[in-house]
Amino acid sequence: MTIDFYWRLPSHGCHGSLRDTAYDRGDWSPTGTRNIAPGLDRNGADDGFRYVDHLGAIAKAAESVGFIGGLIPSFPNTDDPWVISPLLARETKAFRFMIAFQPGFLNPVHAARMSASLQRATGGRTVFNIITGGGGPSQLWWGDSFSHDDRYGRTTEFLDVFKGVWGGEGFSYDGRFYQVRDGGLSPLLAREEIPEIWFSGSSDAALQSAAKHADYYLSWLEPFDQLTDKFARVKERTAALGGEQKCAVRVDLVARPTEEEAWAEVRAGFESLSPERRRQARGGPTDSVGAARQQALKPSEATRYDELIVAPNLWGGFSLLRGGPALGIVGSYEQCAARLEELITRGTDAFILAGTPHLEEAYRVGEEVLPLLGRRESGVLQAAE
Amino acid sequence: MTIQSYWQLDVAEDAARSEPGARQSELFRDVRTPAFNRYDYYAQVAQAAAQTAFDGLFLPHRPQSDDSGIVAAAIARSAARLALIPEFPASAGSAVYAAKQAVSFQRQTHERLGWAIASAAGSAARARDGDHVPEEQLHARTEEFLAVARGVHAGQPFDFAGQHFEVKGGGFQAPLNRVAFPKVFLQGESEEALSLSARAADVHLFAAAPASDLRGLIETLDALAVRAGRSVAFGVIQPVLARDNAADAQRYAESAGLPGAAITGTYAEVAQRLADLAVLGLRHFVLAAPSSLEEAYRIGQHVLPRFRALTERVAAAA
Repeated sequence: MTIDFYWRLPSHGCHGSLRDTAYDRGDWSPTGTRNIAPGLDRNGADDGFRYVDHLGAIAKAAESVGFIGGLIPSFPNTDDPWVISPLLARETKAFRFMIAFQPGFLNPVHAARMSASLQRATGGRTVFNIITGGGGPSQLWWGDSFSHDDRYGRTTEFLDVFKGVWGGEGFSYDGRFYQVRDGGLSPLLAREEIPEIWFSGSSDAALQSAAKHADYYLSWLEPFDQLTDKFARVKERTAALGGEQKCAVRVDLVARPTEEEAWAEVRAGFESLSPERRRQARGGPTDSVGAARQQALKPSEATRYDELIVAPNLWGGFSLLRGGPALGIVGSYEQCAARLEELITRGTDAFILAGTPHLEEAYRVGEEVLPLLGRRESGVLQAAE
Repeated sequence: MTIQSYWQLDVAEDAARSEPGARQSELFRDVRTPAFNRYDYYAQVAQAAAQTAFDGLFLPHRPQSDDSGIVAAAIARSAARLALIPEFPASAGSAVYAAKQAVSFQRQTHERLGWAIASAAGSAARARDGDHVPEEQLHARTEEFLAVARGVHAGQPFDFAGQHFEVKGGGFQAPLNRVAFPKVFLQGESEEALSLSARAADVHLFAAAPASDLRGLIETLDALAVRAGRSVAFGVIQPVLARDNAADAQRYAESAGLPGAAITGTYAEVAQRLADLAVLGLRHFVLAAPSSLEEAYRIGQHVLPRFRALTERVAAAA
């Protein structure tokens, strides 16, 4: 049994520390004295660098310590993963590019052609994180007017067509959202492997779609029992359809030599926040079931960082310090490894890890935490087989 | 306005070159790993064009081969300075998402992206691509696509409710909103295509044709653009074959299966014919020849300097 570990590329800007909410790496925050601002020299003139140079540094760090690849997120205010991946393809050797995208934004035949080309450019290093739930009313920001459940129907059809045309020429499809007549990738493109498909979404509509098409079902970290139930449900539903579903967790870590040092970092981050910022971070209305589950974890008025500890080594305040999920793992290298192993015994087959700042934490986690996995005396990994 | 010269990187040309599947290494020891592939060749063509002082690369849409947008991004960081103009169909997807991808590309490459919207394919080809927009709405779809893409780029909140696209509260925030929108290249010789370009193109690229035909098309489009209160620049996609003496040029032309509208001749002759086109008002020259790498060097080294000398004289005389 082997487990794939990915590391996130911060296409949404990068903090230099958990203690500082300014995106001081790149051009997401105005240039300040501490800002590494690719693109500007000391006099504010163009220095030839761009944010992709920073992302490239993180990708190279992650691949050099053994991460298999990285998730490149997609929000309204991120650099686009379909652009970042080919830009970095020729500067990395083994790093897989996990492209997050909402299928409704692309024609599935065109997407298949783009994907096969990217497979050719990278030697098969393309992976998909298919997003469907999205942000409710803000879907219209993207120019998408479909309802929540319709979007899952559309995603299912998108993947029907995507895989269908990849099977070669002579493919026809007559769906509610997509129709193709006698299409298909040319033999040159069709011989590439279809990218592995990672799937997010917590609603029933999402699970149904995932059961049909996903290689990995991806969840944010939730309290372990809750996550165990969810993974069991996904695997059961897929098995009923005659398939096999792997499960993955996307989780932030604060890993330090000792537990005290790790909590000290979290505490410093929490105490750097204004009370107003703590209230804002509860998040706005959403029709994403996963986001709502995360919001339910957050106390509205935490005044101390340790009120947000929901279980040993689990802290529910990460979303206060940066956008994204609330729950993450905090502890010594050994404790972090133990929590990851516990997740493996509970049905996790792969991980997307992240830490702030992304470059330095990739080294820390890759060099200190990952090598501990499967090596402890208790032999948790053997027990999982 | 200075003349812009682009080299055409056609992914369907020399399809076996650098293709790992085409390797045969029974006798010699071949140490190339699968990481050496077709994209190294694309990057070489780009580097050749950059080194011989082309202003950019034009990447036509070839549905049977690599996607032009992926190729453009994959080679962007190995070829400095060049403008990159991938051609894609308006059926590629959401206009908002296309604009967002364009903005990312612009941010990371010092604003070197151009957009070429492919002329509509026939109905069978469109059905193969899952595109079922009725024939008579194709130009309207392209116009909406560009209006939405430019709209979300120009500022927020952007609202749009059209036949093909709908957006509410759209528009990019900092830092995505700090780069220029890509220059838009449209094509086509029909009345509808010219009138769409008058309203929506930055540059209209004509297919290579006799000068008299091009003159007529330019006059028509110019008049339409004036009526629309806009100005559109003119360009041409021009196959060329140039050799250092007339006999060689003639011999290669006969063996090469060139399109009828290709310009063939010595370096000086080809440069002169291109300068004749510039006199008509064409300012964007997409030059194309099979065997893309070697020809990029040849045209860039021998024809472009002569062409520049001639057009500078034209400009000075005017």
